[in-house]
Amino acid sequence: MAATSTTANAPSALTFPREIFAALQPRQYLLAHLSPASKSQTSVRPNGRKPTEFRKLSVNTDSLTHCNGSAVVRMGNTAVVCGVRGEILLARDVPNPPTISTNDEDNDRDELARLGLLVPNVELSTGSNPSHIPGQAPSGLAQSLASRLLQLLSTTGLVASKDLRIWYQPIIEQEPEVGSEPEIIAYWTLYLDILYISLDGAALDAAWLAMLAALRSVKLPKAWWDPDMEAIICSDSIADAKALSLRGLPIPAGFAVFDETPEGVEDTTQEKGWILADPDQFEEEHCREHISVVVDMSGDAANSIRAIDKRGGSFVDVEKMRTIVDLTQQRWKECKDVLDAQST
Amino acid sequence: MDRQDRRRINPPSGGTAPPLFASAIALAGASQFKRPIRSRKPDELRKIFLQTGLVPSASGSAYLELQSPSPSGTHDLVSSKSSLKLTCSVHGPKPLPRSAPFSPHLVLTTHVKFAPFAARQRRGYIRDSSERDLGVHLETALRGAIIGERWPKSGVDVIITILEGEEDRWWGDEVGGGTKGIGGAGWGLMTVLAGCITCASAAIVDAGIDCVDMVSGGVAALLPAPERSEKGKGKDVQETTVVLDPCPSEHQEIQAVCVVAYLQGRDEITELWVKGNAGDAAAAIVDNAVRAAVASKAVLTEAVKEAAELKFSVESGRPQEHPKGSRDLEMSG
Repeated sequence: MAATSTTANAPSALTFPREIFAALQPRQYLLAHLSPASKSQTSVRPNGRKPTEFRKLSVNTDSLTHCNGSAVVRMGNTAVVCGVRGEILLARDVPNPPTISTNDEDNDRDELARLGLLVPNVELSTGSNPSHIPGQAPSGLAQSLASRLLQLLSTTGLVASKDLRIWYQPIIEQEPEVGSEPEIIAYWTLYLDILYISLDGAALDAAWLAMLAALRSVKLPKAWWDPDMEAIICSDSIADAKALSLRGLPIPAGFAVFDETPEGVEDTTQEKGWILADPDQFEEEHCREHISVVVDMSGDAANSIRAIDKRGGSFVDVEKMRTIVDLTQQRWKECKDVLDAQST
Repeated sequence: MDRQDRRRINPPSGGTAPPLFASAIALAGASQFKRPIRSRKPDELRKIFLQTGLVPSASGSAYLELQSPSPSGTHDLVSSKSSLKLTCSVHGPKPLPRSAPFSPHLVLTTHVKFAPFAARQRRGYIRDSSERDLGVHLETALRGAIIGERWPKSGVDVIITILEGEEDRWWGDEVGGGTKGIGGAGWGLMTVLAGCITCASAAIVDAGIDCVDMVSGGVAALLPAPERSEKGKGKDVQETTVVLDPCPSEHQEIQAVCVVAYLQGRDEITELWVKGNAGDAAAAIVDNAVRAAVASKAVLTEAVKEAAELKFSVESGRPQEHPKGSRDLEMSG
């Protein structure tokens, strides 16, 4: 029930500035934007993007002094900082140390999870958004984001636990040439602190991309056990430091589905829903159906889906889901180019 | 650190320790690291980068960065440079919640929080007392500038996140344990506060909250006389020096530091904080802190002017103020 002002000729129509329309009738406002005025026109979202257009990603790594790796990621008005910091967990402080088999991939994940060597945390109350004012406990969104990031880290197996082990081969005084079995004396624990500078939708995507870019820039110092000092000593030379060998490059993309049958219109041929890629906050708030897909094309392209999460609504069927995965795969290529440009 | 916080993901229960670097142990003997040396003139400030309008969903926001001129050392893993990076966003003025008692003027709330990675030692997520104290100082500084009577029954939140904080002392002193002066602690907070004041002021202007003047922060430090030889010490009068915008890691010893929040137009100080033993030089360091505040005011004015020009050129120049492809809409019925 809306038209562009150029085609308006009904004298009784009420006209409002955009902001007021958006505040009064947000769904109508979105619908009016998305419904093309004529067949030849494509639908355009209120933020000026096409329905399946993502925001431009920009990444900047290693800008923080006191981190082993860090990244600032910007997607439109969403800006996130992630700092990765390594601290040392002594093996003797672990209550039930897991048994290590060096080649077992599955055991690797179990080891990380049991030891809790990856500690992602999310802070939204940095003034990033009026709905997250500090002074309160972390909001539901912050908690769910942190837990989802941890889950994604664990299911994608991004960080290999072999990078986090610190080995020590004790020297037996009596028989120095025999040598004993090397043992794991300590582990690196990675604190992944994610702070939102500004939040405007796509919170999970931005957080994950920031974390990924930060992990790619991590340089862990060479560490060894010093039996005399009874402590782990690290080398401060950058030449000795090692980057993490990350497994693959999983990249998420968020979608929102806006479906609305305009009241009084019985035209079934008219498309009822729009899949909006990389929704901003306004769109996120007024869409009922949300989809998040994680793909990793660095290996087998046919077998690239790492996670799919779909909540609410019933607009997306198998066919549409396929389109969404295709879009995510295109997005993966864009993101990879941006991330690679940073790391060289 | 909060050991068990059920709303966050906790570190391993065994506890973790920050890495100990080989060079730090060697440092006690021959120092292979050089303490950064102040290359600026005593009355020269570090370069300030200030930009407003970072957070579109906030009514006002600003980002401030102090660029340290000393280049980072060859040992990249233990960086010797210390800098300051902080963001500020202002939310409001907005109506107070119904449960709040009547207030005839604007209720100002300030939150200052260090990021977990802001310092060499990892910080927790829950605000500690020093952060709350900074918040109180900031509130005092801003309250003197804002014309609160114009917003009865409303509140405004000023939120500062410190992404990278100034260090309290050179890290070599920390491991060597050779700190002199009172505890050596807390000097960095003074520079941080001055940065917070300037940045918050820019964000408040960006939010369009009426102020009597733009308040700006300035710091000055009193350095003790350089140590003389034993013989000369008796007769020489101790000569202290005052430097503007001190970088604590550059000085072995600091006697006193002063922060002011200064309204240049009215020649008023809204906040004054002196730490340490200033002695006779108390008036001198306050004067110098004011000089530093005047200098940062110039940067503040420039940043605000730039933002305003950008805003008005967009508004008056072209009618296309909305993103591409957007259309005016009409609602009928």
